[in-house]
Amino acid sequence: MRNQAEATFSEVPRGNRSYWVISVKRLLRKKIGVACLSIILIMYGAGVLSPLVTPYDYNDQNLAEAKQGPSLTHPFGTDRLGRDILTRIIYGLRTTVIITVITLITGSLVLGVSLGLVAGYFGNLYDTIIMRVGEVTSAFPEIFLVLIFIATIKPPITEWVRGLEGTLGIDIVKLGVADYLVLSLALAIFSWFGMARLVRGQVLQARENQYVEAARAIGVSSPGVLFRHVLPNVMGPIIVLVSAGLAGVAGSEVFLSFLGIGVQPPTPSLGLMIFENASISVLRTNPHLLLFPVGTLTLLLFTFNLLGDAVNDAFNPRAR
Amino acid sequence: MGWKTLLFILGSLFLIAACSGSSSDPAPASQPTAAPAATEEPTQVPAAAQSAQQPAAGDGDTSGGKLVRLFVDPPTLDPHLTTDATSAQVIIEVFGGLVTIDRDLNVVPDLAEDWDISPDGRVYTFHLRSDATFHDGKPVTAEDVRWSLERATNPLTESPVVDQYLGDIVGVKEKLNGDAETISGVRVIDDKTLEITIDASKSYFLAKLTYPTGFVLDRENIEADPKRWFRKPNGTGPFKLSQYDVGETMVLSRFPTYHLGAPHLDEVEMILSGGTSMLMYENDEIHVAGIGLADLDRILDPGNSLNSELLQAPPTFSVQYIGMNVNEPPLDDVKVRQALNLAIDKQNLATSVLADQVVPANGILPPGFPGFNTNLRGYRFDPERARQLLSESKYGDDLDNIPPITMTTSGSFGASVSLDMEVVLQMWKKNLGIEAEFQQTEFATFLKDLHNRRFQMFDIGWIADYPDPENFLDILFHSESSNNHTNYSNPQVDSLLERARTETDESLRFQLYNQAEQLIVDDAPWVPLWYSGERFLLVKPNVHDYYLTPLYIPRLRYVYLTDEE
Amino acid sequence: MGPYIVRRLVWLPVILLIVSFITFALGRFGPGDPVEVLMGQHSNPEVVERIREQRGLNDNIFVQYGRYIWNVTHGDFGESFKYRGRTVGELLKKKMWVSAQLNIAALIVSVGLGVPVGLFAAMKQGTGWDTVAVSITLVGQSVPIFLTAPGLLLIFALKLDVLPTHGWEGFFSPNLVLPAVAMGVPGVAIIARLTRASTMDVVSQDYVRTARAKGLPESIVRNRHILRNSLIPVVTTLGFSLASLAFTSFIVERFFGIPGVGNLLIESVFARDFPVINAIVLIGTTLFVMANLLVDLLYPVMDPRIRLGASQIA
Repeated sequence: MRNQAEATFSEVPRGNRSYWVISVKRLLRKKIGVACLSIILIMYGAGVLSPLVTPYDYNDQNLAEAKQGPSLTHPFGTDRLGRDILTRIIYGLRTTVIITVITLITGSLVLGVSLGLVAGYFGNLYDTIIMRVGEVTSAFPEIFLVLIFIATIKPPITEWVRGLEGTLGIDIVKLGVADYLVLSLALAIFSWFGMARLVRGQVLQARENQYVEAARAIGVSSPGVLFRHVLPNVMGPIIVLVSAGLAGVAGSEVFLSFLGIGVQPPTPSLGLMIFENASISVLRTNPHLLLFPVGTLTLLLFTFNLLGDAVNDAFNPRAR
Repeated sequence: MGWKTLLFILGSLFLIAACSGSSSDPAPASQPTAAPAATEEPTQVPAAAQSAQQPAAGDGDTSGGKLVRLFVDPPTLDPHLTTDATSAQVIIEVFGGLVTIDRDLNVVPDLAEDWDISPDGRVYTFHLRSDATFHDGKPVTAEDVRWSLERATNPLTESPVVDQYLGDIVGVKEKLNGDAETISGVRVIDDKTLEITIDASKSYFLAKLTYPTGFVLDRENIEADPKRWFRKPNGTGPFKLSQYDVGETMVLSRFPTYHLGAPHLDEVEMILSGGTSMLMYENDEIHVAGIGLADLDRILDPGNSLNSELLQAPPTFSVQYIGMNVNEPPLDDVKVRQALNLAIDKQNLATSVLADQVVPANGILPPGFPGFNTNLRGYRFDPERARQLLSESKYGDDLDNIPPITMTTSGSFGASVSLDMEVVLQMWKKNLGIEAEFQQTEFATFLKDLHNRRFQMFDIGWIADYPDPENFLDILFHSESSNNHTNYSNPQVDSLLERARTETDESLRFQLYNQAEQLIVDDAPWVPLWYSGERFLLVKPNVHDYYLTPLYIPRLRYVYLTDEE
Repeated sequence: MGPYIVRRLVWLPVILLIVSFITFALGRFGPGDPVEVLMGQHSNPEVVERIREQRGLNDNIFVQYGRYIWNVTHGDFGESFKYRGRTVGELLKKKMWVSAQLNIAALIVSVGLGVPVGLFAAMKQGTGWDTVAVSITLVGQSVPIFLTAPGLLLIFALKLDVLPTHGWEGFFSPNLVLPAVAMGVPGVAIIARLTRASTMDVVSQDYVRTARAKGLPESIVRNRHILRNSLIPVVTTLGFSLASLAFTSFIVERFFGIPGVGNLLIESVFARDFPVINAIVLIGTTLFVMANLLVDLLYPVMDPRIRLGASQIA
């Protein structure tokens, strides 16, 4: 961060557009960045298009063929009910897509970034209030909140989604959208603080910079300074955090499965597949039941993290 | 990469780590079985059968040694507060009551030597043994028994199950409601004689007294330290609690002058901190281990070195079922319910998915249970007839007329949908075209909704609390029972159940229950699925007489170890 | 500095009161009932009512809360609902200490591996070694505990039979190795990347250039100038992990048979064991606030231009 402090006035992007264009170009020049981006796109694409790209039906039970190891007909083997694991993993990715996208759009990120900006930039009372409220909201045990939200506000929302289903003619409830929606909305209240604190810290540093002082001196309005000068400078860490956050969300799906939240069987989810099979016994007798779902999740988390690094390098104004 | 970023990631990592979850060895994430019995015992060391080894009643050189097993922290060691199987399993080894259950599941004398029952079946006169003492050597008197019953029924004791187990005694209800200071139905005749009067002739009353709620405690022991006495309990059971570190370990040691015959073992160590039982067993760290489905194939293979250490447990007295709320469409039509019953191929399911660890359920009472009816007409797999019944129902041929069905499930720890339920839903889809959906809930929420009868359809089990048909049929199907979660109501069944409550002739009484059970099965408020089958467990070859029974009984005193490995 | 800390600490009781009241209310108005869970499937509304009355669960929530706070300020966290007859204090004290030791062990793994790897990567910056080192740690971070825990047990406890399968025998025992590794490995990536980034920052600083230009031996430059400064962020990060020091994941606890707090928390939530939940929330909040304060105090250490108090940080 010290280098950032050294950033000279001339290096600082003047306009957001050129900054973004340059950054994306820089990212695409990096091999690792491109590779990660492609892997994530492929996995998400497979998830979105799962009904089209899977060889079998995800609930095609065949008890006579249960627990088979990998073979030509079933590249990842079959599960305890003789269902094709590859198919179930691809459908599981669909669940991952849904849960990560919902988390993004329901705004714990938006909330975190904007409150962090405000706290850091305006300081004083704003800072005190936001940070203390943050400490309050961050202190609750998540599992407790999750359970209570699911039990209290889920039923009406599920009803509402069902109504939506009726008018749209798509099965949304099965996908667990309602659960994730409830959860993300509810948890947004409790999970913005990490992001806010990070952004605030960055802003505290950024606002000490000459370019910000200069901008203020020449009479640029506060929002103008925030969005045109401060935000781009703290973008790198935010993006890293987003990618790590998405990885975290995808990972915590395992835990949600444990609580029975989200997609309901037989609709597959990576979390459920991993949770059900996380034992030494499975590892000894039918390791493919655990290894393939874990491998998929690991690959996804790994590329997300790697991408985060690459993006950070690309978006960091001081990086070459 | 800024350090604060990393810092936050580290923070969030801990959060994620702190909130991701699984049990190490999710003993096939068993469904909630009947409440207190929903044991979370990681090993699921089942109450199991007559061990393969020959029972050799204690000859002199079998004594000594320490049995080690995996267990979980019992929620309580106070017999009067016990509601769960985990606690009960320890408590019955440390404490005792007037009567107990023997290896053949008969109610037999414990502190009472014998008893007389008045001709009208309402007055029980217990004669206490002269040689029964507490662990500190103090003889057990009738006053001790009376005091214990008073304590159990004191509302301040807060026993959640006292109504169920002692509520038949005259005066207990008044005392629990605060209308009486003492139980009018309990009277001390002399030092060794006690009289208990119950409100009606009930042949299952003695069986209820075998539950810890009716156990005898030492008044001095409790009054010396009312809050923490159970750390050093002075019981009357075959073992003394000699060490207890919460969450770590519990050691029971031999009570040499136990009145029914002292244990062979010097000590029993229970590891409470958790771990993976199979692994610990294979590493010779514990003597007994339950086997999960995932390990079973491997060990059933005769070539496996563990194969010879396999024991088979008899079914516990429990039934797993799908409950259907008979007021909720489409389950309000008996033909739909029957169709759902007929459309499941239980035998196939039991064999190919559950490795024959369960016995397909025909009716409600488990095999071997008092009052079990071998001639009960249940539902055999018959997809044709199922389809026919469905089309005869008021919802007719058109599947679109059938309202959606949601099946709610829960695990005793977290949520779960068991494998067999996934197959059941698939069978309904295939054989009837009905697509039901799952809804998983965590147990506390599940219970609340269950008791408020909010479920359309639910998956659950019931384990016998005491060996009497009343414990299944009356509690679960009488229209006024608070445990009748399906809203089932049939006046004919009600009157049969009521007559059976007070019928003194046992065979007549069982006939009444048989008739009631048949009527219930015909009305099909349930899809009975399994009686928990012959479960397998591993017992080290040097452990003998590890009796495994369908009910939890005091059994550790029979166990003995030999040196051979 | 001093007044600032005082001002922040004054907030602590306020935050604790708000947090504990919300927890309290959520528990009371949320679904599920502790007495019902005790009774399981045996539903008997009368009994539930009787015991609820006995425990004061039917009183006005403010009365209940007031009573609770009164007791807590007198050092009494109450008795567990699930583990009957046991005080929350005795349930928690030992378990928190176990969790703390396990966390420290895991941190030792994270830092012990992470710092050298990070330094190595920074020294080899831009080469293949750099990429390899960072990638390996990232894989370690990405593999879920659901595989590492049973995998480690299978290899080291069963196949090689060199380490125990379970149990807790204190900090200095072989029992600690596997859980500490399973918990610590994901953190290696974080510490390594942190070290790498800050080392790279430090290396390009003027004072390092100056030191080299002065002709100081490379070893002195490295140890005195680079290493010390590049570890500041690592230390700060560790400061923040204080917040979760007393808690361990129940997954790890269950796999390795460790009597920690994680399992107790999950159990308490499932059993609606309010006294235990409330106590854990109070302790967790305190730790969280303190760690937060610590991090804020360390900001200026990281960047001297940021001054505490006054207009900067309220």
